[in-house]
Formats: sequence, C-alpha cells, structure tokens
Amino acid sequence: MHPPLEKGQIVEVFKADVVIVGAGGTGLRAAIAVAEADPSLKVALVSKVYPMRSHTVAAEGGAAGVVRDDDSLEYHFNDTVGGGDWLCDQDVVEYFVAHCTEELIQLEHWGCPWSRKPDGHVNVRAFGGMKIERTWFAADTSGFHMLHTLFQTSIKYPSIKRFDEYFCVDVVVEDGRCQGVVAIEVATGKFTFIQAKSVIFGTGGAGRVFRESTNGGVVTGDGMAMAYRHGAPLRDMEFMQYHPTCMPGTGLLFTEACRGEGGFLRNKDGYRFLQDYGLGPAEDKPRNKFMELGPRDRVSQAIWHEERKGRTISTPHGEAVHLDLRHLGETKLRERLPLIYEMAEEYMGIDPAHECIPVRPGIHYTMGGIYANIKAATPVPGLYAAGECASNGIHGANRLGSNSLVDIIVFGKMAGLEAAQFAKSVQNSSPAALEKQAKVVEDRAVGLVTKSTGKERHSVLRREMGKTMEAGCGIYRTAPEMLATCEKIAELRDRYKNLDVEDKSSVWNNDWLGALEVGYLLDVAEVVAHSALNRKESRGAHQRLDGYEQRDDVNFLKHTLAYYTGDGPPRIEYQDVVITKSKPGTRAYGAAGVAADEQRKKEAGNG
Amino acid sequence: MSAQMDKRRPYIRSMNSWWKRDPYFIRYMGMEATSVLVALYAAILLVGLLRLSQSEAAYNGWLDALKSGPSIALHAVILVVFLYHLWSWFKVMPKTMPMIFVDGKKLPAETITYTGVTVAVVVNVIVLIILV
Amino acid sequence: MADSTKTIEMEVLRYRPEQDKEPFYQTYSVPFTDDWSVLQGLQYIKDDLDSSLSFRWSCRMAICGSCGVMIDGVPKLGCRTFLRHYHPNKVRVGPLEHFPIERDLVVVVEDFIKKLESIKPYIIPKEPRKLEQGEYLQTPAQLEKFRQFSTCINCMLCYAACPQYGLDSKFTGPGILALLHRYNADSRDGGQEERMNLGHSEEGVWGCTAVAYCSEVCPKGVDPANAINQNKMGSAIDYFLRFVAPRGAGK
Repeated sequence: MHPPLEKGQIVEVFKADVVIVGAGGTGLRAAIAVAEADPSLKVALVSKVYPMRSHTVAAEGGAAGVVRDDDSLEYHFNDTVGGGDWLCDQDVVEYFVAHCTEELIQLEHWGCPWSRKPDGHVNVRAFGGMKIERTWFAADTSGFHMLHTLFQTSIKYPSIKRFDEYFCVDVVVEDGRCQGVVAIEVATGKFTFIQAKSVIFGTGGAGRVFRESTNGGVVTGDGMAMAYRHGAPLRDMEFMQYHPTCMPGTGLLFTEACRGEGGFLRNKDGYRFLQDYGLGPAEDKPRNKFMELGPRDRVSQAIWHEERKGRTISTPHGEAVHLDLRHLGETKLRERLPLIYEMAEEYMGIDPAHECIPVRPGIHYTMGGIYANIKAATPVPGLYAAGECASNGIHGANRLGSNSLVDIIVFGKMAGLEAAQFAKSVQNSSPAALEKQAKVVEDRAVGLVTKSTGKERHSVLRREMGKTMEAGCGIYRTAPEMLATCEKIAELRDRYKNLDVEDKSSVWNNDWLGALEVGYLLDVAEVVAHSALNRKESRGAHQRLDGYEQRDDVNFLKHTLAYYTGDGPPRIEYQDVVITKSKPGTRAYGAAGVAADEQRKKEAGNG
Repeated sequence: MSAQMDKRRPYIRSMNSWWKRDPYFIRYMGMEATSVLVALYAAILLVGLLRLSQSEAAYNGWLDALKSGPSIALHAVILVVFLYHLWSWFKVMPKTMPMIFVDGKKLPAETITYTGVTVAVVVNVIVLIILV
Repeated sequence: MADSTKTIEMEVLRYRPEQDKEPFYQTYSVPFTDDWSVLQGLQYIKDDLDSSLSFRWSCRMAICGSCGVMIDGVPKLGCRTFLRHYHPNKVRVGPLEHFPIERDLVVVVEDFIKKLESIKPYIIPKEPRKLEQGEYLQTPAQLEKFRQFSTCINCMLCYAACPQYGLDSKFTGPGILALLHRYNADSRDGGQEERMNLGHSEEGVWGCTAVAYCSEVCPKGVDPANAINQNKMGSAIDYFLRFVAPRGAGK
C-alpha cells in the first residue's frame, strides 16, 4: 500500500508566458486572445474541471449586443447604468457597450449557432431591464453554445496548453509581481508550479456561499479568495444577485428568457402581482422594462413581499409564485425554451404548456469580485481578472440579464491582450526564489490533510455557512441579522483551522479539494457579510429594512473595498464611482420608468 | 528526495460476455443473428438454382425435399425471422439517412419506418398474389 | 408527490488504487425525498456517510455532462435520474463502462478528449469574412441541419453504450463523430475534405455497426447513430469516385 499524501514532495515546474486559471468563457476567450496576439507566447490554461463543465455552460438566456436600427449604444449604456443603480463605473460601461456586438459576431464566425431570423441574420430577444431587444440567443442554452464554441475553437491554437483537472491552490507573488500558480494534478495528487510572467483569473463567482443557488458545484470563489489573500481588494461583494425564477429545492435556473418570450408571474390568486411594485401596468404582450421584464432585483424583491403578505404558493421546498407559460403553447415552448420544458417535465413532473411552474428566487450571480480596472488589471502587478470573478464596474449594484455572457468575452479578450503585453515586458525572478515559494504553498495545502488532530468536517462547516448566509444576507437585510452572520462566519473560519480531512489518499481525492474549496468560500463569505453590514443604504441587490431603506447617493455612491487582514475580519474602505454621462437618477421601470425617461430627456434638452 | 511515483492505477474492465450485460445488447445480437437465417435461406435458394441447372429430376428432387416435414418447420421459423428482420431493417433505416425536412419540420424517424414497412408489405402481398 | 422521508439502499462501486486491489461494491443506506436524484444520493453519502467517495458533478441540470454513471447497468446522468424510480429496490451505481476506472465513479476520459481534439472541431470557413462585414447569413433551415448535433454535452454516456468502442478504443466513437458531422453540416464550414481522412476510415464511420444504443441513452437527443450512419453513403460514393477522379496529391 502506498503511503498517503505527504509533505516535501518534488513540485513539477512548467514554464509558460501567461497562465490562465479557469477555462470557462472568460478563460477560453483570454487564451484565444493571447494566442492570436502572439502565437510565440506559451499559454497555460488551468482548470479544476474539464473546460466544458465550467459553469458558463449553464447560462441560458443570451448575450446582449446592439444590432437593431432603433437601438443605440447610448440606450444599452443607460439600461446598464440604471440597472446597476448607478454603482457602475461609466467609463468602463462605455467601453463595454461599444464592443459587445463585435465580440458576438466573432463568436458567430467561430461557429456559435445563434438563433436566426428568416432572412438569415442573427435574431435578438427582449430581456429584463433592456429598453430595446438586443439579446442574442442560441435557443435557451446560450451559455452552453458559447462555451463549446470557445472550447472547440481554442483547440485550433497550438500555443495553448491545457491543464485539465488541475486544482489551483495559490498564486506565487515574488518581487511584488504575480509569477505563476501552484496547482494540484487531481488525478495524482501531485503539485505543479506553473511559472509565468502574468496570470489571468477567470475563476467565476461565489454563489456557493449560500445554501441554495443556481450555481454548479465548482462556483466556490477560488480566484477571489486567492487574490484577496494576496492583497487585492474584493469590491462590492455585498451585491449578490437573486434570480427570481429558480426551481424550489434545487435552485436550478429557469431562464429570464421565459419572461422575455412572454411568460407571466402570478401569485396564489392568479394575479400578476408585479404591477403592485412599480413595474406596471400589466399588459398582455411583454413590454420592455415593464412587469415581468423588470430587472431581477426588483422582481425578486416583489416575490419576497408577496410571501410576507401570504399570497404565495406553499411547496415542500419553500414559498413560490407561479411562472405561467401556458399561453405560449407547446410548439413555441419546445422551439424557444426546450431546456426549460425538459426541466419542468423531468424534475417536477409538470407540463408547462398546461400547468404553471412554481418558482422562487435563488442566488445566481456575484456582481462583486476582485477589483479590476478597465484593462482587467488588478492592483497586484501581473494579476489580471475578468468575468464573474472580477468587479470592473459594469454591473454595479445589480446586473442586467444577458450582460454577463458578453462581459466575459469582451473583458476576457481585454485580459488576454493586456496579460500578453505585460508578459512580454518582464522576466521571471530567480527559479530558486520562485520554487521556494511554491514549496511553501504545497506544504500548506498538504498540511490540511496530514494534520492528525483535527475534529471538524468541511461538509458541516459548509452547511452552517450556507444557512447563516441565507439568514443574514438574503434579499432584505437587517443589521442584527448581518452581524450574527459576521460572527458566525468568524467562528467557522476559526473552526476551519481544526479541520480533519478523512480521505488521505493521493489519487482523485476530492474530499481534500472540497476542504480547500470551503476555505475559499469562508473567506469570501466573510467579505460579503461585512460589506453588507457596512453599507448603510439600500441600492440594487442590497436592500435593508432597518432604517436604511433608501438609496443614499451622498454617502454611498461608492464602491465597497474589502481588504484581507489574516485571521480577522476584512478591513472595509470605499472608492468613488466613476460617473461620466449619466447622473444618478430615479431607478424606475414600468409606467413610472417611461415617465422618468421623459423627464430626463426634458432635462437633458434644457441643460 | 525521491521523485514522487505516480499512484494512478486505472482499472480496465473485461469485455467478456459484454452482450449479456444489457437487454438492449441481447436484442441487438438477436437481430444480427437473423441475418444468419437470411443467409441460410439464400443458400437454400441457390441450391434450388443449382438443381434447376442440372436437370428437371434434380429440380423436382429439391422441391420434394422442401415439402418435407422438417423443411416446412424450418421455413416457418425462417418466415417469422424474416418478418422481424423486415421490421428491424426499416427501424434502422432512418438512422442511415440525412434529415428530411417537410415544411421546415424534421420528418420523424417513425414516419420513415412505417412508410417503409407499409411499402414492403404491400409489395410482398402483390408478389404473393401474382405467384399464387 | 408525497414527500415523506424514505430510505433506499445504494450499492456504489468503490476502487481506491492505493488500497484496493480490485473494485468492489459498497452499500449505503440513504434517506431521501421523492424529488431526489441519484446524484443527491451520492452527495449525501459523501457529506454524511463516507467522504472518501469520489465522483464528478457540477451543474445538477443535465447540461455540464459531468455526472454520467451506470445506474443498474444503464448509462445515465446521475442528476437526471431519480431515486424514487428504484425504491424500494436497491439501486446500483457504477462508473461508465468502456473507460478505465480512475477511482470510484471517476473514469479516465483522456482518450475522449484526445479524440475531440483530433477531428478539427472548429469552423474552417468556406469563405473568409471580416468582423466588420457582420455575421455569416444562415437561415433557420440551414441551422436545423446541424443544430441537433451541436447540443452534445460531452457526457460520454454514448461511449458507455457503444460496444464497438468497448471492444476497440481506436474507434472514434459516437459523440465525437456526431461533433465531426456537426461541423461538416454547418453551412459556414468548408473543412469537409480535411476531416474526411479520419471520418471515412475504420476509426471513423466505418467502425460503427449500427447498434444505435448510443442514441437511446443520449440525454440530449443528439442521435449520434444518425450522425454517423448518414455519412456512410457519402463515404462509399466518395471512395468509388476517387478511382474516377483522383484527389490531388499533398492533401
């Protein structure tokens, strides 16, 4: 019998120019960008799962890009900034909206099977919070098609070397610069130090800090925690998006496109309740930014209120409202929403053409992340971040649906180009110094397993974390609940030091990897809770019921920055939001939104 | 410090009696086995052709052999097997064809199968009538 | 749907290369409610009974393709198969057939990945087009010709179902050949010739004997059996045409 995992193993070394952690939409797009910019640069693409398992695959609704003649970059800009409740960095949003369409066309050239109009042009559909139809879609599995297109296209480039099922445990920072990552080869338990001159994180969000979410098992905030521990601040982490229409129990996602195609949300009396929450009036046909096409935070909040009023439907997995797709008819449903149809039938035994689907809000997206500027650079030199793991100012306090799938390719490309340029401008420090650091990382990761005195189990810590986050950082928050959550997470972080990982083997040991993931999750959870506690206002996805129910642009038109302090709670600081064209206004939808738009136009005309 | 040995030891499972593992495979092997009887029947007919080329007496001898009890029993089995073979042949046929679109909708595999079987049955009936 | 808690016996294959000489089945008693999938059962085992059980999973909604396993001898996705259908009988869960077992329910899939990379699974444009020119035009009818084959989630259930792959892993296999066809059938692609050597070989479409179990087990309705077998006619014609009009050298 082989001895179990032991410290002091030789660490393999692989020398690359750019290393990318995460092979979802962001990482793959970045890798392709580096490969196309300079085929002589060696790219190491590291992923803890095979690329097609990355959570990009589960995104359903679509990706936004202005194409219609009656649409404009300004509309997309205004929708995004307003949707983000003015917490967006408007210079970055301007760059973003100007590059969405070209990236989506690039994907189409690479073979993405976008749904088409009869004339052969790409079709676009309506989406929540968007004034004009601009969401490109591939049936109701847009993320799946985008991911597979990017993965299969990446195979074209010989300069991209993939490290499939390599679990990244840390970055190596030497001479003040990021110079590579240390990863575990999952199949063998052996460590590899991938040396590089620049590092890109495309590691995704952290929804798994909550008990119930739409997120897959891999979404554990790995990159966020690693960057945080090395001094990069995590920004705006209190803004965790609830998606209004998730399956009770599992939290699986029913795409916003259900509402884009004309679905209704009804309470237990069959009433389209959204009209009571400033999203009305109700009309038969879907109307952009009205009713069910309001932004996600508003719709989730409305459902929360309906529950308080006792007007929701009770299910074994919690209170729900009804997603009514019956009037769309089976043919249209099978053509436009086939995945949704399948999910309702297989998991819930419901035929959506004849019955309503019970849905409830679930955690879906992490607006916050590693602070990255418009060039995808984090404050740690040589470390770049893009996609859901980054906070670059696009999404602000609430993300609009279909802005994320296009965020990952616009800024995945940016990160790739910038990291490539940085890599060409520096040399690595001495191999001895780097390898010494890599050994320290390795010893720490193995130490988690070899320690023999631990008593705690990571699955228990994970469950307790999920429960407390749900209680304290839900759709509506109060100071006492948030404080209780902060204290609970501190306790869990302390108990984590006393972990016992039962499985001590080397080959495909995901008990060990699960323990490492809980470590990441706990650090990130603490940031979310403290960031929320300290934001004394309500904005976007962060809503309070304890005296801070209003938006406070005087004191809090700022980003939250959370800095790692080691064992203690994060140090919270604030950073100004970049405002260029759009002064913070009333965030209104439905009829009120139309009126607000008219008012702004008048003021702009007079100003 | 010794180089760490790779502790992987992938286990490869045997394919012995693979077709007994799953009812689907058993049915598949049964279906493939029907081709043996098709070949057997072809051989019988070829023998008949050979006898025909030899002499009238030889041919009559072959016809008499066919009328024997065991032969009738064998032919009954072959008939049943052929009917199954006809059905399974047309069941696989849609898999060998590119998608056919009628009015923008894909022609379902069942339609192709039922059409094929119907035509085959009709043709067989006509031939039977002509011969009889 | 009644949701009282029941218990089911799950027999799960175990194999830890560092300590087990051979695979064996281990039985666990798992409490569950009616909506639980087999995957949720495995997660319960790992979280509460035996953290050393290794298996792949992620999305839980039959789109990432991670959780393929043999359930009572049939290739299925763990996340989309429900314990209530087996209860009160035992349910037996094993790793996908025809792949080497790495550990417990985890199989070695490097061969699949290598094959995916070998078929040139990307658009080789028929005509070049600049980004400024916008998208290639493709009618809904043209999209339909290949869309079904593009929905493969790489779950490899079809490989577990394919006896030809099990008998000889040189065969490219159903899922990858469906992907090959997906690109050949895309109106924007002009790479059919380049993919032909592999596609029309013994490792390609001719390794298939139309067992068609692959299409039965496919959770997405990709129908790889159709993708492969509709190319046999073209391959045969192409083969004979080569004697009539030989292709140029240096291909």
